[in-house]
Amino acid sequence: MIIAIDPADTRPIYLQIMDEVRRSVVVGTAQADEPLPSVRQLASELRLNPNTVQQAYRELEREGVVYVRRGRGTFVSEVETTERERFRLAQTVAERALRNAYRNGLSLDELIAAVRRAAEEMNVEENS
Amino acid sequence: MRPQLVKSLNGRPMAVSTRALTKSFGSQVALDRVDLTVPEGSIYVLVGPNGAGKSTTLNALVDLVRPDSGGIEVLGRSASEAGPAVRAEIGYVPETTDFGYGKLTARELIDHHSRYFAAWDAAYAEQLGADLEVVYDKRFGKLSKGQARRVQLVMALAHRPRLLLLDEPTDGLDPLGRDRVLEILADHAASSPTTILVSTHVIHELEGLGDCLGALRDGRLIAQLERDDLGDHLHRVRAEAAEGWTPSSDLVEQSLVRKASGRELDWVIWGDAEALPSRFAHEGAEVRDVARLNLEQATRAILRMEVN
Repeated sequence: MIIAIDPADTRPIYLQIMDEVRRSVVVGTAQADEPLPSVRQLASELRLNPNTVQQAYRELEREGVVYVRRGRGTFVSEVETTERERFRLAQTVAERALRNAYRNGLSLDELIAAVRRAAEEMNVEENS
Repeated sequence: MRPQLVKSLNGRPMAVSTRALTKSFGSQVALDRVDLTVPEGSIYVLVGPNGAGKSTTLNALVDLVRPDSGGIEVLGRSASEAGPAVRAEIGYVPETTDFGYGKLTARELIDHHSRYFAAWDAAYAEQLGADLEVVYDKRFGKLSKGQARRVQLVMALAHRPRLLLLDEPTDGLDPLGRDRVLEILADHAASSPTTILVSTHVIHELEGLGDCLGALRDGRLIAQLERDDLGDHLHRVRAEAAEGWTPSSDLVEQSLVRKASGRELDWVIWGDAEALPSRFAHEGAEVRDVARLNLEQATRAILRMEVN
């Protein structure tokens, strides 16, 4: 599992870590029972405050995305979260696009039309 | 009403707290009634322009500078009364690399230094030295600033002190060296219970590490906040308003930076992200975007704001 932080993203870092783990689960790069990097490992790898990593893992555990084995580490849960997680991921992507559109003075209809046009130009098929 | 930017970070035990710390050098006021509170276990980022009092503050905490008035408590003890006992539990990277040991090689300096600390971890010192690519056999006084900094970091960290005071710890290091130092600090914080008070001009480096921010200007502490508090409440607002729009004094007082050009507004203001659009709308301005600030943007806004 690769967890990356975007320096341009100003959302709280623990939320970014949570999203990265959820994304790995949704796209299938993280399998059930796969270990997450240890707090120390991820903190030093990303130059983060270990408390921030701890907070992200704690929240993920609370949501059931991961489970903790005392003394052994944090692991990806087996629960069927995929559908719900896909839904939530799509929501996040949509909210970001909407906010960006509004900042640029675009309406919802203009944004939707532009997404369809872009998909056509980039040859993205529906349901792909 | 102006936002309350200097908060006493209470609710947790304090590794450092000063009360009305004041110091002058001749007619120059270096510190003016500074109430610094550094919670135990935090990574506290101290910022401010050159001469704002950052180094004087750190020197006062290890009793190298005696305050004119005010109190200092470090790790539960008065700094002036328990100097040596307190210093044994502190790792310090001072501003200067020239502290009178220039004739010793880096190896000799580290050996000499280690004898003052019962808790010195020789294996960890070797590990740090290797990670930081310390040049051991050159005289300390002949090292470049960056090379000397690496030696000082080994000296500060290897006894795993309860409190680390780092005065621009990456000063003089090349980009890879700076990044390595940050990696080491994150690893150190994860593996040893410690509080880190770090002053810097390179704020973006500490974006992920810092969880408290203090800002000094002209010897005064003009802000002291938890990172989360700052992130949740300080926002950049971009809005549109009719030309000649006059905001209420209330809105102006809550703002730190106000830029306007034609119909466009670009402000930094204290407030909840959900509440800000309606507050502007109430005064006839339409908010286009409310964005959180990164640590560097927030710091710049704080250091530029008008203070009475």
